[in-house]
This record gives sequence, structure tokens and C-alpha cells, in this order.
Amino acid sequence: MQVFFQTLVGGIGFGAIYALVGMGFTIVYRTMGLVNFAHGQIAMIGAFVGVTFFLNSRLPFAVAVILSMTVTAAVGLVIEGVLRPLEAKDFDLMLIGTIGFGIVLEALASKIWGATGRAVPAPMDRPLHIFGIIVRTYDLVIIAVAAAATGLVWALLNRTKAGAAMQAVAMDREASTAVGIRVGRSNAMAFALGSGLAALAGTLAGPLLYVSPSLGSSLGIKGFCAAILGGFGNINGAIIGGLGFGILDGFAAGHFQQYSDLVTFLVFAVAIMIRPTGILGEQTVSRA
Amino acid sequence: MIAKAGGLLALVVFALVLPYHLNLYWIHVTDVAVIYGILALGLALTMGIAGQVNLAQVAFFGTGAYASAALTTHGFAFWVAAVLAVLITAMVSIAVSVPALRVQSHYLGIVTLGLALAFTNIATNASITGQADGLNNLAVPPLAGLDLSDDYIFYYVVLATLGIGLAWATFVVQTRLGRRLRAMRDDSLAAAAVGAETPYLRMTAFVLGGLFGGVAGVLYAGLIRFVSPESFSLSSMFFLLAGVIIGGRFSLLGSVFGAILLVFLREELSNYSIYAQLLYGGLVVLIVVFAPTGLVGVPGRVWKLAGRAAWLAPSRRETAKAGGHLSARPYLAKRAPDETEPRAAVDEPMALQVKGLTKRFRGLTALEDVDISVPTGEIRGIVGPNGSGKTTLFNVISGLYTPSAGKVQVCGTDTTGARSYRLAQRGVARTFQNVRLFGRLSVRDNVLIALDSTTTVWAWRYVLRPLSVIRSDAALRLQANALLSLYGLSDVARSLPGVLSYGTQRRVEIARAMAREPRLLLLDEPAAGLNGHEVHQLAEIVRDVRAAGVTVVLIEHNMGLVMSLCDRVTVLANGRVIADDVPASVASNPEVISAYLGDSGHDDVELAEADT
Repeated sequence: MQVFFQTLVGGIGFGAIYALVGMGFTIVYRTMGLVNFAHGQIAMIGAFVGVTFFLNSRLPFAVAVILSMTVTAAVGLVIEGVLRPLEAKDFDLMLIGTIGFGIVLEALASKIWGATGRAVPAPMDRPLHIFGIIVRTYDLVIIAVAAAATGLVWALLNRTKAGAAMQAVAMDREASTAVGIRVGRSNAMAFALGSGLAALAGTLAGPLLYVSPSLGSSLGIKGFCAAILGGFGNINGAIIGGLGFGILDGFAAGHFQQYSDLVTFLVFAVAIMIRPTGILGEQTVSRA
Repeated sequence: MIAKAGGLLALVVFALVLPYHLNLYWIHVTDVAVIYGILALGLALTMGIAGQVNLAQVAFFGTGAYASAALTTHGFAFWVAAVLAVLITAMVSIAVSVPALRVQSHYLGIVTLGLALAFTNIATNASITGQADGLNNLAVPPLAGLDLSDDYIFYYVVLATLGIGLAWATFVVQTRLGRRLRAMRDDSLAAAAVGAETPYLRMTAFVLGGLFGGVAGVLYAGLIRFVSPESFSLSSMFFLLAGVIIGGRFSLLGSVFGAILLVFLREELSNYSIYAQLLYGGLVVLIVVFAPTGLVGVPGRVWKLAGRAAWLAPSRRETAKAGGHLSARPYLAKRAPDETEPRAAVDEPMALQVKGLTKRFRGLTALEDVDISVPTGEIRGIVGPNGSGKTTLFNVISGLYTPSAGKVQVCGTDTTGARSYRLAQRGVARTFQNVRLFGRLSVRDNVLIALDSTTTVWAWRYVLRPLSVIRSDAALRLQANALLSLYGLSDVARSLPGVLSYGTQRRVEIARAMAREPRLLLLDEPAAGLNGHEVHQLAEIVRDVRAAGVTVVLIEHNMGLVMSLCDRVTVLANGRVIADDVPASVASNPEVISAYLGDSGHDDVELAEADT
């Protein structure tokens, strides 16, 4: 039982990160109907930038996180700008375009920071003992930050004009143009926001995982799975899916050791076949 | 044509003499490149031709390589192991295709990517695959006394395989199976409506990918004689994908070319591997934005641009001026079903019976307790204000939606909830409200797909009896030509639907539906967007269709057409049948008039049209 809870708590820690990655995917998908396969690589860039500020420039962890979010938001704007001609035209082609960007970002990271990567010490690592379960303080930090970020995103989407515009574009692109929303700018903002969230997830994941150029594909794929599991295009879905996937991953690692990836992805494939729209159902998105 | 054949010949000669100019290092690279070309063929078939996002192609490659490696190390003779390995890969590809039955596009992308990761996970950890070290000292393939450990001789083996593979893949793409795959790529809904069994086609698409992946894997194990997990990693997958995209995913030759090109590029820049990665990643982005059909599409696009620049090609300017829309010949009424084959005697009085049909979408009830009976040989009109459930009714009858309650019978057989391709096979054909033709297929191909009445299982002939495929395809083409000339479409047979006028596109869609030789034809707003002359032609077509023994049900807003053409009219309002009578009585029915003028005032425009 103790092992069970131990695994559960660890799974939730990772799950919070997957939820953040999934949320970034979701915001971009909801607004512009684009599935960003470079999202994981953006998170990886964020992790590297954050680590550089944290370890090399000796800035506080929180400041490093915010700086890295700014950098990736800019990266997101570039990607959106380049792929804009394809928006609302060819869905699969845009998807492949983001794969291209993913390849480029991974190569850039290898060029700038080297292919080997680096280990990051957790900003706080005093373990807590609760009912015989060892809880890393850092896991709690991740969960708190993820919760706070979710709240902020929710407020942004539902309590601000820009957020309302993003939701409107998601529902009907043409009608939004007709009422004077600048679809392009709204999409750019969504992409920047999504990329910022990716950096947050990447930087937070740094101390748990090893920061290397290949961090992107593992974070990206698992975050994407999380978003689909919860119900793609659905913010709540991303969170539930993220936590669910983190727990699944945790138990797979506990029970099947080196075969955890195999089990995780097989379970995921079966789950998607049983319920393609995920736990909460896909939010319909207007797209070509 | 001659230029094409000449180009191909030059390419073959070039490929044959190439080894004489390469040193030991580069011949090895070339061998690898050609194997990647074979692998790319598989990806092009699954993704470019059939439109199934497949990020597991390199896992198929790995399965083939590992299977043949493991079997030869366990004492199997090389070629026995090779055949077994390809079969194993085909099985794996069937397993990977199962998710494609439920999900598409990015979902399919992530599922196949996940399964690809699962594959590397097995390869890195299982003892049969030699774990992270892989399997080495593999057997040299024996071939009639030739020394295949010599990369120069091996080159001709892989080259021959690529040549045969390319020829076979082209053969598949150009005949029934490939046409159906392309139709499914362009519009899977419409493909199912003309009888293409889309679930099985999706599986077939993956099996094609698996076959080429398996063959490439066997050759790779035979060439390198060492397999390890890194060769089949995700980065290899993206590398292959980049090659296919850069070359041109819709073209087999383009995909092969792209993959080969990238292997050479990677090798040329092997000391600057990061720059190579930057280069091909960047190329993918550029291609996607500026040349979505890949490098093979570039000459065509340049030619088109040149044609637009009038001073460059004055003769082309004339055609551009006259161009705009291609139109078909006027339709000549046939009446009396003499040229068409005699139909089976009608023994069923009711072509369509709908009983107590209800369809709910969450809170909305689109259809409620609808009863409609259409006797065989009738032309039935279905009218009603916008949002009254007409198209929903069609979608239920043609199997796109499952009804929430009620029954549908076509010619006496219960078809409630049957899949749309099954209904198409049972004699229901339809057109769509916003014409759904296969955009990247010619008019003739659009019709050919519907003419093909074989099931997907028929495709075994592609492997065992290719000649019979060619013969039957020739017969099918003759049928298509007859049908096209019947509908006055012979002149536009080679055109893509997109360049035709809207009226002609609608006529192509009807011809395509009629190619099924249906018993029941459903037309969804066939006159929408047609001019007066075209509406007249449409009426002629529908009368001829009925004369051939086909029952016609049409949804239409053009009251003039409905009143003059239909034997009987059913009126829907808010998902219920409010009238069902001969046209004259329906027009004077007070409930019908109030439905049109009363609760949805904007529809009075349509009623006004009815008088003209």
C-alpha cells in the first residue's frame, strides 16, 4: 500500500508536468486548429534556456523560469508567422511543418548547448515524510505551479477580451473576422501563450529529468498523449489527462521497469481506440 | 510521353553505370540510400497515396531487419528468414493499422509514434534482439554464387529490388486499389458512399507500408550485417519523413528521390551532422510553405508561373484567356433504357421505407418519428425550410448517421445502422449538398472508383495475379468511357474536378453515383448553384435515370423543379413530416405554407422562386 501511494505521488508530480505540456498543445489547437508537433522541442528549448539562466547566470529559479518563457514565446511567434499561410487550409501539411520545426529546434539545441545535456539540481530538495510516504518538496512545487498556471490560463481565456477573442476564433474563424477580431494576431497570441507554457513545463521538468536535446520528443509525445487522453482541445481534459498519464507512466515504470514505455504506449493506443474523443470529449474546432 | 520514357531510360542507365564511378565508401552509402528509397516507397503509399499519417514506418523497417537477423542467427537460411521477416512485418503493420480504424490525422500520428517508441523499447531491452548492443556478425545473403559481402554486387541487388518495388507500387497506384486509396485520402466520406470499404482500405494502406518496410529491413540487415536500436530511432523516422516530404509525398518517384537525396546529404555533411539536421528540418518547413507537392512538383509550378507571365509564352496566354472553366457537352436525353444493361426484374414494390425514424444530436432532435415510403420507380421530392432535417434524413438513409430510433429498409432489406459502404454495395447511391468529388483524381478516375464493385479482399490478386488486375482494369476503363460519353463528359475526362464549372461538377457527381448502378439514388440539392439551362438538363438526367429503373429521392429548394419533376413530394418541418402528397396538393396545403412563411420568414424567398 505504501508503495502504491509512493508511486501515485510520484506519478502526480510528473503528471502535473504532462498536464502543462498538454495545456500548451490544447490552447494552440483550440484557437487555430493546429497540432503543434514541435511543442515538445519548444519545451526542451525552454528547459535549456531556464537551466542556463539558473546555473550559469545564477539567477533565482523563478526568474529563470519567467525568462525562458519569454524566449519560447518569441520562438512560438516565429513558428506561427512562418506557418501562417497554411492556417485553415491544409491541416496535415501544417502538422508536418511543425515536425520540420521540431527537427530544426533539436538541431539548434545540440548546436548551442551540446548533444550531451546536463543535470539540474532541484531548487529545493528536502523530502517531507507524510504518513510514511516520502514526498519531494519539489514535486509539491510543481503541482502548485501547475495549478497556479491553470488558474491564470483560465482567467485569461474567460476574463479578458483577448481570451474571449481566442475562444471566438476557435468557434468560428470567419465570423470572428466579420466582427473585427484580428484572427492572425489572436492566433499569434495563442501560440505564444502555448509556447510559454511549454517552457514552464520544460524548466520545471529539468530537475526531474535530464536536460538534453532529446528531452523534447519524450516530453512532447507524453504531453500530447496526455492531452488526447483527457479530450483534445479541452483545457480540463488536458489536466485530467496529464495527471492520468503521469500516474499510468509511474505505475508502468514501477511494475514493468525497462518495458514501461512499451506498456504505457500500448495502454494509450488501446484507450484511444476505445474512446477516441478522450475522457472529457474533444472540443470541436473549426478547421479546414 | 516520349520525354518521360527517355528520362526514365537515362535514369536507369545512370543507375546501372553509377558503381563504376564510386569508391568503396560511397558505394556503401549508395546501397544504404537505395534501401531508404525502398523504405520511402512504403511511407509514400501509406501517407501520400492513402493519406494515413504513419510515423511507424521506421519501426516496420526495424521489424524486418531484426526479424531476419534473429531468424538467421537461430539457424534459418537467409532467404527463408527473409520471407518470414517480411511476413512478420506485414503482421505487425496490420496490428499498427488497428488504431487507424478509429482515429485519423494527428491522433493517428501520435498513436503510431507511440507504437514506434514501443518498438525501440522492445529492441533495446529484449534478449532476442540483443538489447542495446543489437545483433552482429549476421549472415551474408547467398545468391547463386555471387559474393554479396561485396557492396558493388549488393548494389545491383538493392537496385533491382527498388526497380521492381517502384514498378509494382506504380501499378498499385494506377489501378483499382490505388485509386480507391487516393479517393479515401481526398474524401473518405465520399469514398465510402461509392462503396469503398474504408476501414479495410486503411489496413491495406498500412500493410503496403509494412511490406516495403519489411523488404527494406531484410536488405539492410543483409548489407550492414549488424542491427541495433539506434538505426530505427525516432530521429530516423523524422529523417525518412523529411525525405518523403521534400521529394513529394504524392509521387512515388519523388518520395524515393527525396529519401535518397537526404541520405547522400547526411553523408556529405557527416562531419557537421547538426548542420545536416538543421538543413533538412529547415527544408521541410520551406517545402511545406512554398512547395507543398515537394521538389517533384516544383517544375510544374514554375511552368505554370511561366505560363502566367504572358510575355514568356504567348501561345499559352491564349489558352489562359479562353480558360477559366471547362464545360462539358450538353446532356442529350436518352429516355428508354436501351443502351444500359437490362436490370433485374423489380420484385420489391417499395424502394425505400422509413419507419418511425428519430435522430437526436445531444439536446437537438433533428428528426422525429419520420415515416416515408417510396415505391420503386418513383421520383420523390423532399422539401422543407432550412434546418428541417432533410440532409440528416439522407445521412441516416445512406449510413453516415445511425438513427436514435426507427427503421430504414431499402428494397425490402433492413439497412438500419449499416455502414455507408455496405449500403453503397446494396444499391444506394448519393450526391452531396456541397459537391464532394475526389479533388486530386481526374473525372475519369472519379467515375472508375464508383464502377469498381469488387471488395478489398480482391486485392490479393495484386500479389499473386497481377496480370488479371491489368485485364480487369482495362475492362473497367471501357465501361467508364461509355458512362462518361452518356453524360457528355468525355471531353473533360482527364481534367481534375476543380477546373470544371460548378454545374459540370454536379453532373460528374451524378455520373459517379450512377456508376454504382444503384437501385436508389439520393440527390441532395442537385440544382443548387445551377443556371436555368443546367437545371433543365438536370431534369432530363433525372428522368432518364428513372427510366432506367432507378428510384430517385431528391432534396431540393428549387420549387419549380420539384413541382415539374417529382411524382410525389414529402414536406419536412422541424424534423417531422407535415405533408406527403402529389405536388399540386402539397403546394396548396395550408400547413406547408405556414411552415414556409410562418415560423421561418426568410424562406419566403424560396417560395417566390417556385412561381417563376
